[in-house]
Amino acid sequence: MEMMIDFTEGFSHGHVIWGWMIGVYLVLAGMSGGALIVALVRRHYSKNKENTGLLKGAAIIGFSTIAFGMVFLVADLHRPLYFWKILINYNFTSVMSIGVAAISLYIPLTLMVFLMALEEEIKDFFQTKIKISFVHTMLTIVINILKRFRPYIEFITIFFAIVICAYTGFLISVLIRFPLLNTAVLPILFLVSGLAAGVAATRLLTAGYYRVNPSTFDEGLLHRIEWPVMFLEILLIAMLIVSLVLGNDYQKEAMAAFDVTRSQWAYLFWGGVVGVGFGVPLSLNFLFGHKVAHSSFTMYASGISTLLGVLSLRLFLLYGGQTFGIH
Amino acid sequence: MALATGGYALSSEEKRRVEPKQHLSMIYDQTKCVGCAECESACHSVNLVPAAQNRMIIQDRTDPDNVKARRFVRVSCQQCEEAPCVAVCPTAACHKDSLLDVVTMNGDDCIGCAYCIVACPYDVRFINEETNMAENCDFCLETRLKKGLQPGCVEACKYDALVFGDMNDPKSTISRILSIKDTVRQRPELGTKPSLRYVPAVKQGV
Ligand code: SF4
Ligand code: SF4
Repeated sequence: MEMMIDFTEGFSHGHVIWGWMIGVYLVLAGMSGGALIVALVRRHYSKNKENTGLLKGAAIIGFSTIAFGMVFLVADLHRPLYFWKILINYNFTSVMSIGVAAISLYIPLTLMVFLMALEEEIKDFFQTKIKISFVHTMLTIVINILKRFRPYIEFITIFFAIVICAYTGFLISVLIRFPLLNTAVLPILFLVSGLAAGVAATRLLTAGYYRVNPSTFDEGLLHRIEWPVMFLEILLIAMLIVSLVLGNDYQKEAMAAFDVTRSQWAYLFWGGVVGVGFGVPLSLNFLFGHKVAHSSFTMYASGISTLLGVLSLRLFLLYGGQTFGIH
Repeated sequence: MALATGGYALSSEEKRRVEPKQHLSMIYDQTKCVGCAECESACHSVNLVPAAQNRMIIQDRTDPDNVKARRFVRVSCQQCEEAPCVAVCPTAACHKDSLLDVVTMNGDDCIGCAYCIVACPYDVRFINEETNMAENCDFCLETRLKKGLQPGCVEACKYDALVFGDMNDPKSTISRILSIKDTVRQRPELGTKPSLRYVPAVKQGV
């Protein structure tokens, strides 16, 4: 930039400060929200109020990934033992504070959805597998109470699942030093790619289960929304790129993140996001005919590729974004 | 506070009118700085900053095509009025001092999430490798200001390249200099309202 006096050195010395642990956390949070949004919206509009395989899969993903994600979030802190400070000192101008407040409500909600969706399995587990009748009785009481409020709980969970997906975008879109991150599309991009990850994870997890119970098979739905979601994701990434290309000097400079001659992270984008995340599922499903498209190999390969693509996107944005900041 | 308030307390708004808040700031004068970096050493010894880290540095900005004209610049917290680091800190460990309005740290509450580090558009914060807490130049708030002393770097500078004081006090040295000298701020277009003022040695540009 043309300034009469400025400095170009900084105290992070070109290092990426928020690294892969935050990236993994962002993916897990998005996956949790995405899986529950799809399954609970589906349940809301469906006449079938049984616990379908889709719902069970999504409930397992929804609860376990956000809980696992917290491990990464805390592990990334320089003073992890003081994590509780975040719970007693709120700062409502901080997206992180707002996010932690939302997560504190969201995790119990996912647990409730989990208990209701896997009611039979959980009861069965404590009745036949390990016989602890006390736990069994307690759980039965709790689940019965929860079930009375089930529609409300599920509705609030959908709301918070959207909030969680979007907040992971706002968390890094407020960072004005990094034009690649400081964009308006990031929260919606993270919501949409969270949906993609949620759908893929649910499919992978429940594939075995569905083989046995084709009647409750919601695979059709998962398969149908997979492509519109991917299309939206591509559209949003294109919007992000256009806004940088047509932007001011800082934004144009941040485009270097996509340039393989200037940035190693560009490989993560073109190889991971575009090649693996979009290319592999698209070609397996549309290039090699009906037989390949409907094979279980394609189902697993597309699911895993989608997840890798979503992870690559988060890591690319974090690393590429922080490498090409304003200075 | 020995103000006669006639039985009722002043609201904070009224108080501000009675005693306008200080706006502590610093001028870095590029025409005077020789790049000796005495300020850096002073900062290390006053604030016990680990040897490999800095709260402030003097960067050499000499134009390689014109090495005779040495140019330096101070790199440190710009003491933003609209400070992103304060806005994003989830525990309010990074905050403005209630008395002197300086952006500073309450290290005990810092969880080391580094959100403030990435939020600062000037990249002048760091996680202290010994304490694992975030840190920034707070004009030596606890180590000197509250004892009535000038910041360590200001006292250490033999060339008067650093001037510290209250910009809201028209009689302060800093205000007098600002009333006659052209100064600039670092990237004010970012909306951070940086407090630090820089006197450039030459104006360049198209
Ligand atoms: S320069 Fe950076 S550390 Fe200093 S107040 Fe501004 S945002 Fe905070
Ligand atoms: S590193 Fe410490 S001061 Fe900085 S945002 Fe996190 S808790 Fe606040």
